[in-house]
Amino acid sequence: MPELGRAALIAALGLVVYAAAAGGWGARAGRRRLVESARNAFFAAFASSLVAAVVLVSAFARRDFSFVYVAEHASRELPTGYTLAALWSGQEGSLLLWFLVLTGAGSAAVALNRRLTTDALPWTVPILGAVASFFGLLLVFVASPFATQPAPADGLGMNPSLQNPYMLAHPPLLYLGYVGLTIPFAFAMAALASRRTDERWIVATRRWTLGAWTLLGFAILLGAKWAYEEVGWGGWYAWDPVENAALMPWLVSTAYLHSVLIQEKKNMLRVWNAILVALAFCLSLFGTFLTRSGVINSIHSFTQSSIGPWFLAFIAVVAAASAALILVRVPLLRAPTRLESLASREAAFLYNNLFLVAFALTVLWGVVYPLLSEAVRGVPVTVGGPYYSFFAVVFGLPLVLLMGIGPLVAWRRASLRSLGSSLVVPASVALATGIALVVAGAGSRPAGLVGYTFASFVLGAIVLEFVRGTRARKALGSETWPRAFASLVGRNRRRYGGYIVHAAVVLLLVGAVGIGGFQTKREAKLAPGQAVRAGGYTLVFLGDRERRSANAEELRARLAVYRGTKPLGEISAGKNRYFAEQQTSNEVAIRSDWLRAQDLFVIADQFDEDGTVYLKVLVNPLVNLIWLAGLVFLAGSLVAMWPDAREQRRLARRFEGAYAPGYTRA
Amino acid sequence: MARRRNPVRLIVALSVAAVLAIFLVYTSFAGGATPSLRPSQLAGHDGDVSLAGKVVGPVRGDAHGAGLRFTLRDVRGTATVPVVYKGSLPDLFRVGRDISVRGRLAGGVFVAETDSMVTKCPSKYQPAAGDTS
Amino acid sequence: MTAAALVLAACLAAAAVLYTAGPFLREPAAEPAPPDAERVRWSEERDRALAALKELEFDHRTGKVSDADYRELVPPLRRRAAAALRALDGEDGVSG
Repeated sequence: MPELGRAALIAALGLVVYAAAAGGWGARAGRRRLVESARNAFFAAFASSLVAAVVLVSAFARRDFSFVYVAEHASRELPTGYTLAALWSGQEGSLLLWFLVLTGAGSAAVALNRRLTTDALPWTVPILGAVASFFGLLLVFVASPFATQPAPADGLGMNPSLQNPYMLAHPPLLYLGYVGLTIPFAFAMAALASRRTDERWIVATRRWTLGAWTLLGFAILLGAKWAYEEVGWGGWYAWDPVENAALMPWLVSTAYLHSVLIQEKKNMLRVWNAILVALAFCLSLFGTFLTRSGVINSIHSFTQSSIGPWFLAFIAVVAAASAALILVRVPLLRAPTRLESLASREAAFLYNNLFLVAFALTVLWGVVYPLLSEAVRGVPVTVGGPYYSFFAVVFGLPLVLLMGIGPLVAWRRASLRSLGSSLVVPASVALATGIALVVAGAGSRPAGLVGYTFASFVLGAIVLEFVRGTRARKALGSETWPRAFASLVGRNRRRYGGYIVHAAVVLLLVGAVGIGGFQTKREAKLAPGQAVRAGGYTLVFLGDRERRSANAEELRARLAVYRGTKPLGEISAGKNRYFAEQQTSNEVAIRSDWLRAQDLFVIADQFDEDGTVYLKVLVNPLVNLIWLAGLVFLAGSLVAMWPDAREQRRLARRFEGAYAPGYTRA
Repeated sequence: MARRRNPVRLIVALSVAAVLAIFLVYTSFAGGATPSLRPSQLAGHDGDVSLAGKVVGPVRGDAHGAGLRFTLRDVRGTATVPVVYKGSLPDLFRVGRDISVRGRLAGGVFVAETDSMVTKCPSKYQPAAGDTS
Repeated sequence: MTAAALVLAACLAAAAVLYTAGPFLREPAAEPAPPDAERVRWSEERDRALAALKELEFDHRTGKVSDADYRELVPPLRRRAAAALRALDGEDGVSG
């Protein structure tokens, strides 16, 4: 069986190399049949990589430990769900996942835009093929998932902290996001290569970009939820390089999503967009590199990693090639339209972009500086949370403000009086909220107060937008408010879906400020019968409890929770000791109070011989808004992405007559 | 229409300058990156530093009581320094693990800041069993 | 590798090669006329102007654009849309 997998990968590599080479030649020489053949080769490469994936999955399902990769990441006791997920828990498997998703999503994007990619953008397939060739080369020559060995009795198993539903979903969604960003990159570069100055590639890739960005953002939040529950230090985001690896491409693609809207509407910022999409793709490659090459641990483990140097070289090549292509096409792209006023919606989008990219670059510097310092000076340094939090505030707060002001400003030139009257409502809401919060005692944390005030400003602005829009729609003839609302959103899915996403960001901000600025923390060493009080809760230590599960020994401190004198039940926190993996994991107790909008979070830090336990008790206000924000984010993106029959008809009409009869898709 | 200089370029240039300025101000005040020392480099450093090394036993004491005592050794080397630590112990802490703590040298012993220990976790995606570090 | 897997692999490989070589084995399909780049650009320009008009009208209705600004901004957009429509008609000879 491993031979079948290996053969499938070799075939897939051959096919994508052909797709890149033949497609490139066909694109350059205008040879249509070569272009079509290259496209077919790319589709066939997907089929081949699917065969390889099936071989590996079945090896996991059968617990076939003669596969080195299976033995390293699964074990006999590992439940089936996690066994199958072990496919992507290691380097070779995640490379295969990248390759599979790239050829799959790439094939789908090309197939759905067959005419466009054959006639106008023939370089799309060669570019996708070139990226796939890199991963294929790694898979065949450097990091093969199909290495074999004499089968050991049992495998090494999965790191127990990864055996969690959030960690199950996080990597594939993350990879769908990373790989998804290849599609707009390929189409954009193909448009540049073929000297296209029209917007068809943007229209074709709009939903792909939105989808990839949504999955990436959602995956980041899933990772945060895992960190909150499983790593359990009391926070949700640690500015760890691995976390930042995914955040950077997300920030840049957020900027890209906004500025590409400007390009569609105003035909501006074309060079900037090309740079952004290339940067987003390079950052997603960089993110994969950071998480996979071991460079995070130290520069030394990086040089010993099999794929690290290859990745760096590839990223350098992609960056250089994109930069060269963009530079060469700058005269072609230079926009005829100028920014007319610094107070206009175009300008607001530009400011949004600048803040997002600035923030992404500071995060990049925070991640890269320690690596550079160790490599160049030999001095290891660490960049801590405060660096990132500082810039998150410096760049984030203006971004939040822009989310509120931007939609209220007119295109081309702000009508300042209209803007002023539009701002009255949200500003009053913000002021009222600020005062109410100060009265309620939140004034002790000025940073938090500012955050909440800005958040309420934006929420006010978003609600205002929905209200005014619905009112305008109703005036146009809808009979009822609900129908007017539905019609409004239905006709302007991108705008109102976008507003819902903005609301999600605001929710995230409120939750982050709650747990970051207003957390209560108490520590205590308790003997059985003793109690600790925190944030209105009283916890009484009832005693230890030990239990054995299939793969671990579970030690728990049982705690009775009271609010005043009212008993709220029992929770337990402690540690698991895993036999096979020889590891201890922290198992926190979380009690979410929905009415009070807070989490009671208990860490049992240390169990002593004399039966006492050292507890850390945290009360996290509003933290669940962060997770709610993830769901609202998904909903908003879905609204924005939802297929629109009216828009399809409009696009079809746009191109009728420009193409030969029988053309059906943009 | 009169040909004006595109304000976009001006905005971008100003923003880059502003970002650099903020960045420089921040790093000159707050430092940003803290250098991480090895036990062999500790001598002579008086203030708060970050110390990184490999845990060497025996490990004695109570991190939530009088303090956990162990020795930290250069990852690649033999220089050691005794450490006393109070606070939460990361799950991955054990003899042989690479860790880093913040604190200062006092009377030949490195007194660590409470809760400042961080383990250099082996890549989350690699199995810990069979760890030879 | 079992005989069945070998046969499967061989069939898949053959299928891949055939599929890839397909375009060369068939009679070259009548190449569709390449899209007229000028026409595409004018269509996009027309749609852009029309969409901008719609959005301007909506912004006016929802109070983001004052009456005075609205009166000032509409004519240039209308001219742009008209120019695009004229260009499209002119290119075609038939109304698009």
